[in-house]
Amino acid sequence: MIRAALAAVLLAAPAWAQDRPVIVADSYPMAYFAERLAGNAAEVRLSVPDGRDPSSWRPGLADVVAIQAADLIVLNGSGLSDWTTRAALPRARTVDTGRGLADDRIATETITHSHGEEGSHSHEGVATHTWLDFALAARQAEALAAAMARALPDAPVDASLGALLSDLATLDAAGDALTGGRTVPVIVSHPRYEYFGRAYGLAVEALDWEAGAAPDADALADLASRADRTSARILIWEAEPPTEARDAVAALGLSQVVLPPMATPPAEGDFVTGLRDGMAALGAAIAAGG
Amino acid sequence: MRPLLAAALMLALAGPASAHRVNVFASVQDAADGTEVVLVEAKFSTGRIPALGEVRVEDAQGTVLATYPLQDGAARFPLDRDAAAGGLAITVSTDDDHEGYWLLTPSDLDSGGGS
Repeated sequence: MIRAALAAVLLAAPAWAQDRPVIVADSYPMAYFAERLAGNAAEVRLSVPDGRDPSSWRPGLADVVAIQAADLIVLNGSGLSDWTTRAALPRARTVDTGRGLADDRIATETITHSHGEEGSHSHEGVATHTWLDFALAARQAEALAAAMARALPDAPVDASLGALLSDLATLDAAGDALTGGRTVPVIVSHPRYEYFGRAYGLAVEALDWEAGAAPDADALADLASRADRTSARILIWEAEPPTEARDAVAALGLSQVVLPPMATPPAEGDFVTGLRDGMAALGAAIAAGG
Repeated sequence: MRPLLAAALMLALAGPASAHRVNVFASVQDAADGTEVVLVEAKFSTGRIPALGEVRVEDAQGTVLATYPLQDGAARFPLDRDAAAGGLAITVSTDDDHEGYWLLTPSDLDSGGGS
């Protein structure tokens, strides 16, 4: 629903040309939340072009001009969209929904490398996919709702917020039920699931496999080694892998589940249904012995 | 005052993602001779100021308008409002291989650097 609409109208026209107020979101979860809350009272657009990851997208000047003209700019925060710190956004019309999550953020693995006069040094970061802890997602939705109520007084925000929070609570309960109180080791194809793992009892071992690419022999050997070390029996893909990749992983004896992290619109369904279905598949894999 | 406001805005919106990156900020300032200059400032998020580097200035079409040396974390160049009508994309490359950018839109140019 939202995927096609967002792709079709992606920053195609300046805000002043619209009949309805324009909300620009930096990521799919924020766009989904905004659309749920706004109903028909606003035009919700995703700033990132179709298929591009918000964490690596660099906007052009025309993109920023269009974003600056929006009635409300919605950010996930927590460092997800680097570009938001590289252009001036109108403070009064920008809401960082992650602002209240400072005590809940997860520091990511430190990478140390060496170049230049500084010698060996480290890059530290913060995990960005906060919405995969659905309790945190609910707080982000509440922060967004408060901003929308101020910016768009005609939008049915209060009425819509309850339904959205209910859906997020359902997802949260499904997450809580995944492991039955155990800590289950899993391997993920890309480092997206830090908050999900922490919230729902998964010990996450992250690969850094390119989405859509088949792993080579070295990557498969690394996977096998990690599976032995962690006792993980499940690999979580962020998107449906190529058949040869699925076959190669199956040959290692691992169960496989696709759980879209949702930074970008899913191929099918939406934020709630995509995560609901992915978690159902993960729950089945865990129950089967994962 | 305008650059200060814009800088405060940038800091307010800055996320905690990386502890080692080049933050770049550019603003329009009035020179003593009555002309306008673009002031580019670069700083690592660790607080260290890059000693040397290069500033690449592109227009809205991605055409490189000019390059300037970055010295002690700063560079200045005259603002050509005709060339900058669609805004300026300013990229800083430091001599130790880090890169950052700042996008100055037409409204930023009118307001000094921030919206």
